[in-house]
Amino acid sequence: MRSTDAITLTRFRASFADPHLLLEAVKRLKQEGYPIIDTYSPFPVHGMDEAIGLKPSRLPRACLAFGLLGLATALGVQIWTSAYDYPLIVGGKPLVSLPAFIPVSFELTVLFAGLGVVASLFVASGMRPKFKVPDLHPGVNDDRFVVAGEIQAGANFTVVQSLMASLGALETELLVEDKSQTDHSLLDREAKPLAFLLAAIPAVLVLAALPLLNRNYLKRNLAWDGGMMAPVAYQSFDPHPSLPGGQVLQTPPAGTVSRKGLVPLPFGPGKVEAERAGLELKNPFQPSQENFSRGKLVYDRSCAACHGLDGDNNSSVIVARGLLAPAILVAPVVRNMPDGRLFHVATFGGPQKMKGLGDLISRDDRWKVVLYIRELQRAAAPKPLPAPALSPSTGATS
Amino acid sequence: MAPEDHTSALPATLLIEDEQERGYGHVLPLIDGNKTYSQVTEEVFSTTERMPPLKWWLALSVSLSLLLLGAWAVTQTVTRGIGTWGLNRTVGWAFDITNFVFWVGIGHAGTLISAILFLFRQRWRTSINRAAEAMTIFAVMCAGTFPIIHMGRPWLAFWATPYPNTRGPLWVNFKSPLLWDVFAISTYFIISLTFWYLGMVPDLATMRDRAKTKVRKAIFSIFSLGWNGSNRTWSRYETVYMLLAGLSTPLVISVHTIVSMDFATSVIPGWHATIFPPYFVAGAVFSGFAMVLTLMIIARKVMDLEEYITVRHLEAMTKVIIATGMIVGMAYGTEFFMAWYSGNNFERYVFINRALGPFKWAYWSMVSCNVIIPQLFWIRKVRTTPWMIFILSIFVNIGMWFERFVIIVTSLHRDYLPSSWAMYTPTFVEVAIFLGSFGLFFTCFLIFTRLLPMIAASEVKGVLKHEEH
Repeated sequence: MRSTDAITLTRFRASFADPHLLLEAVKRLKQEGYPIIDTYSPFPVHGMDEAIGLKPSRLPRACLAFGLLGLATALGVQIWTSAYDYPLIVGGKPLVSLPAFIPVSFELTVLFAGLGVVASLFVASGMRPKFKVPDLHPGVNDDRFVVAGEIQAGANFTVVQSLMASLGALETELLVEDKSQTDHSLLDREAKPLAFLLAAIPAVLVLAALPLLNRNYLKRNLAWDGGMMAPVAYQSFDPHPSLPGGQVLQTPPAGTVSRKGLVPLPFGPGKVEAERAGLELKNPFQPSQENFSRGKLVYDRSCAACHGLDGDNNSSVIVARGLLAPAILVAPVVRNMPDGRLFHVATFGGPQKMKGLGDLISRDDRWKVVLYIRELQRAAAPKPLPAPALSPSTGATS
Repeated sequence: MAPEDHTSALPATLLIEDEQERGYGHVLPLIDGNKTYSQVTEEVFSTTERMPPLKWWLALSVSLSLLLLGAWAVTQTVTRGIGTWGLNRTVGWAFDITNFVFWVGIGHAGTLISAILFLFRQRWRTSINRAAEAMTIFAVMCAGTFPIIHMGRPWLAFWATPYPNTRGPLWVNFKSPLLWDVFAISTYFIISLTFWYLGMVPDLATMRDRAKTKVRKAIFSIFSLGWNGSNRTWSRYETVYMLLAGLSTPLVISVHTIVSMDFATSVIPGWHATIFPPYFVAGAVFSGFAMVLTLMIIARKVMDLEEYITVRHLEAMTKVIIATGMIVGMAYGTEFFMAWYSGNNFERYVFINRALGPFKWAYWSMVSCNVIIPQLFWIRKVRTTPWMIFILSIFVNIGMWFERFVIIVTSLHRDYLPSSWAMYTPTFVEVAIFLGSFGLFFTCFLIFTRLLPMIAASEVKGVLKHEEH
């Protein structure tokens, strides 16, 4: 609406005490053919957009775009961290659990949409800290309703003045254009630091991403605060201050009966014992749907994080980080181990890497996991599984 | 002057209908005193430009003392550990999480007034929305301190955010409701702050124009962003304000839904219930409106703003209280029905224990304060007498605090195994932190009332002459 040829035009402004009078004056000026620059008021005057012919704002589209960006960011971060960068299986749930990702996705959508649309408003309207405010009428933030328009050079200002006065204007004045105050370009003097700051954001993001992409997991990490590595709380097996000799583990009272009713397991850790277990122990459970599903549940919870959901290490967080790989359970060497040997590994741990889980998984569940591992091997095998080997295996892998 | 011509399009809501439409009795005006625009400017902004009166200093000193007490208690907790609290192995969440949920809930009324009532074109919100939004921000600040203190090492609180770290990186667990909480509360705080600030920009421009000293002029020049009342800017501004209101509305519901999921996704009888999200949201609105009433009734008296925050505003809010109070009451009943209908012995035991067990005093305080006492608001005389509203609002505040305490502590203190049963008594440190959160809240609020315009002057001017048309 604003003419680019500022030399042939002169600006005037008239102020009113009431929004109705302002609206009437704007409509009248339009009828008479005066271009309207803008109106200024202490609160939005409804009907003014139509009167001066403003199109509806396109900011809602910016809001949608920022919202979608937030949604994409949230889903991207959640899926990448949970399924690719750190594929840790939690409670046997799928790595990409979309229902669990809904809340964070929603919050980030709202956050991006809200901050983005406000930032768009600031850019679109040139809202930023200003020590000299352009086109400011002294009473406009109090009780004045102002219209600014243009008249042709040479046209009589008094005509406008009397027209405005007849419509109830308190005062009508000619304005001298001040170029220094009407520069609305984004990169003017005051906006420069802000622009540099905004331009620095991508650089900072890239710099932050670099160490993330070039990581070596085998190198010892640095942390500015040891935090959980040096807890101040009492450590189990620290000398106990209030027991004689600081001894922590006490002999149970006479006649104590274990609550679990455990049957003793006449085996110890070590390779020799493992081979003996392979010869002497037999799986007390038969393959059945019920035993498989229990075995799968326990396997997914306790084994899959290292060995992978299918026993092939493909979904293992350890392999994904490039650390020492756990045994591939569907490999022939494990396939050829007898059930008792697998049970021994689950109980006491492997020769190199694996920790025994006998304290954490009940004996029945360990046997059912063995059943389930056999099922995994059967599923992965190109040909039917051979009968369990009777001689102890020599493959020394956990 | 008709600022909004949408009276015919008023939605049939649970909230307040326009009383003119209903034509019952006399119509109480939105703003009393037949004011002019410049009178509004003068009365709203002059409070920020002169020395506060003695009663303000007295109030500030009391709240600063409470804040100091809280700071002492937090120092105790951080230096000596969580052992200074009354928690035990069975009751691992008690005062801290109760206070967290209590303060988050209070914050929600601010968003409801500023966003949902805006979308429903409830013009009476204009006098109270600025202060209610400030209340939201300060309440969320109070709420946020509790989980952070409970971490034990609050200086490591940033570990709860996903950032590339030197531990692997070890990422946060996006499947955990406690992490959803981190995102929900921080998003809520940022968006509420943005909404509050954006709504204040025109008023900050008025403060800039009225500024007498150079420093004041410079400060408000920075924060008013070159506002000159241009219609083009107003037009975009209104669009963005509407969009933010539209975003805040589902946001506020999501926040308390996620807070309720901290409990509902567990398998603790008394927590594991699908009713929790709507039940918590209604409770939040209920407690929040009570807190708005408590604050507004004090503020209008102390700040001489009775002509802006009129009896009509108070009455409208009491109606929201009746509605949400009955939703909450129905939720209490539904919980008992579900426990009985589930046929689960543990569920049944928890609810019988809740009403008749060692914490029955807390349960029945909650029921009387939240369900029985607010019924007095059916009487018109009670709804239009500020001191009666004030007393009832205090009861609702107390009742809603007890609601969270009852949900958290009574569900925990009787575990599945009778050998794990325990009791919970707060220690002095815990009570002091709770009092300190009130100190923080009132200190912030009192400073706000003197530093910034407590009434949204540009919005009030818009509704000023509505009654003439």
